Amino acid sequence: MTTLISANGLSKRFGTKLALDKVTFEVQKGAPVALVGPNGAGKTTLFSLLCGYILPSAGELNILGNRPGSASLFGQLAALPQDAQLDPRFSIIHQLRFYGQLQGYGRRKAQQESERVLALVGLSDVAKSRPSDLSHGMRKRVTIGQALFGEPQIVMLDEATAGLDPIHAREIRELVSSLSEQTTFILSSHDLSELERLCTQVLHLDHGVLSEHNAHARPTTNTLYFTLQLSQVYPQVEQALALLPSVTKVYMSQAKEYVIEYERGAKALDIAILQCCHSNNWQYRQIINGHTLENQIFHKA
Amino acid sequence: MHIKRLANIAAFELVRLFLTKRGLLAVVAFSVCWILILRYPIGQAVSLLGSPDFADFFNSIFGAIGFSKLLTWPEAELAVYWPIALYSFPVFCLFLCGDQTVGDRQRGTLRFLTLRATRAEIILGRFVGQVLILAVLLSLTIVATIVMLGFREPSLFISSVPRAFTLLLHLVITVMPFIALMTFLNTFARSSRLALVLAILFFAGGSIIVALLAWQVPVLESLNMMFPGYQINEVAGQNAGMLLGIGLPLLQTFTLLLMSERVFARSAL
Repeated sequence: MTTLISANGLSKRFGTKLALDKVTFEVQKGAPVALVGPNGAGKTTLFSLLCGYILPSAGELNILGNRPGSASLFGQLAALPQDAQLDPRFSIIHQLRFYGQLQGYGRRKAQQESERVLALVGLSDVAKSRPSDLSHGMRKRVTIGQALFGEPQIVMLDEATAGLDPIHAREIRELVSSLSEQTTFILSSHDLSELERLCTQVLHLDHGVLSEHNAHARPTTNTLYFTLQLSQVYPQVEQALALLPSVTKVYMSQAKEYVIEYERGAKALDIAILQCCHSNNWQYRQIINGHTLENQIFHKA
Repeated sequence: MHIKRLANIAAFELVRLFLTKRGLLAVVAFSVCWILILRYPIGQAVSLLGSPDFADFFNSIFGAIGFSKLLTWPEAELAVYWPIALYSFPVFCLFLCGDQTVGDRQRGTLRFLTLRATRAEIILGRFVGQVLILAVLLSLTIVATIVMLGFREPSLFISSVPRAFTLLLHLVITVMPFIALMTFLNTFARSSRLALVLAILFFAGGSIIVALLAWQVPVLESLNMMFPGYQINEVAGQNAGMLLGIGLPLLQTFTLLLMSERVFARSAL
C-alpha cells in the first residue's frame, strides 16, 4: 500500500479556539476516504490544511512526500474547496484552460482537457458561459470538473454534492466511483449513506478530535449485528425480534430502524428476520449486515 | 519560481483588462481623459510655451518648481506630457491596481490557483501583469504625443523617439513602487476599496508621522524615502541622478514585493 497522506499530531488553533486537536491519521492509495463530522467539527479546517490554504499550529503533515502547498503537488493534488467560486468575468472554458496551462499543458492540450472535464460533469454545452450565468448546482459541477483536470493522485471534495439535485448528485457519486481506480478521493459530506456507498475508510471529526472507522470492517468480536429498516412504525417490533434464536439484544437506533445484536455462529438469522417481518405483516425497506455508518459513528453500541 | 507559470499569470492580467467588459470600460475612461489631455494641454503646448504673453509666466512657474530644463526641450509636446504623466499615472495606478489578489481571495478563486501555482508566483505574476498593463497604457499615450508632435513639426519626430523612450522607461519605473504598494496592501486588505483607503492613509498619515518624527530628530526625515514617489519632483525637473531616479523606486519595489511575498505566504486563503 502506498501512503499518500500522513498527519502526525496535527493541531490548528484560531485565536483561543482549538479547531483541530493533535490529529493523526494516514490515507493509503485506494478506495475513497470519508471525512465526516458535525458542523464546526474541523472538517474544512483539515481540508484547508491538506490543500495548504492555512498553516498548522503544530504537528506534521506530509502529502506524497511533500509539504502542503509545495510546487511538487501541482497536478497531483486537486480539490473542490467549499464555497470557492470561479472568476465571474471570464468564461468557464477560458478559466479552465488557464488552470490547465498553469498545470503545464500547452494551449491546445489545455483546451482539450477543459472540454474533457466539462463533459465528465455534463456541462459541455455551457463551456462558453460565464459562471454568473449558471445555476448554483451547475457552478458546483464546474468546480468539481476543475478538480478532475489531468491525472491527480488525490482529489479532495468538500461537500461535493451539497446543493445538487438528486440526479446530478448521483452522477457525481458514479463519477467518483468510476474514477476511484486511478485516483484516491477524500470526500466530506453530511450524507452518510452516500459516503457509506463510496468509502471504506472514515475519518470522523468531532470538536477537532479525530476517530477512524472502517465502513466495511469485518467484526472481530463475538457479537454481530443486523440493522433492519422498516417502512413504517409497527408495535412490539423489539419484543418480536428479541425472540429469534441467537439474538442477544434489540434496540431502536432511530425511528423505524432496529439494531439486532446476535452471537457469532447463529445460523440463517437474516432469513429468520425476514420471515418474522413476513409473519407479522411488517413491510421492510432494507436489512443491513452490520451497522450503518451513521450508527457506527453516532450510536456506538 | 517557475517562469512559465509566472508568465501565464501575468498574461491573464492583460486579458483581464483588455478582454473583459469591466476592463474595457476602464480603458475607455482612461482614453477619454487622455484624449482631452492630448487635445488641450499637449496640443496647445507650443502656442502656450511659445506665446510671448505666457513665456515669462511659464519661465517663472517652471523655474520656481525646478522644471526650467523642460523649457529647453524642442519637443514642447513632450515637455508638457512629461509632468502630466509623471504626476497622474502613479495616482491612476493606485485605482487601477487596487484589486490584484483581494477580490480573488474573497471569492475563493485563489484556492483554485494555489493548487497550481506557488503564492510567490501569484504575487509576482499579478504584479508583472499590472506593470505590463501600465506600460501598454503609458506607451499608447506617449506614442499619441509624439504623433501629434510629428504632425506639427515632422523634422522633430525622429529625434523625439529616443527622448520618448527614455521618458517611458522613467515612467514605468516610477509607477512600479505604487503598483507594488497595492500588491502589498492586497495581501491583507479585505476589499480593493479598503486597499485604496489604506494607500491614502499610508501616504497622508505616514507623511504626518514622519514630519513629527523629523521635527524631534531631524535625521529621521530620510524616512520619507520609504514613500513611493519621493523622487518625483526631482525626476520631473530632470534634476535627479540615476540613484534617486531609478535606484530608489526599484529598491522600494523590491522591498514591497518581498514584504508582500512574506505576508501572503503566511496568510489564510
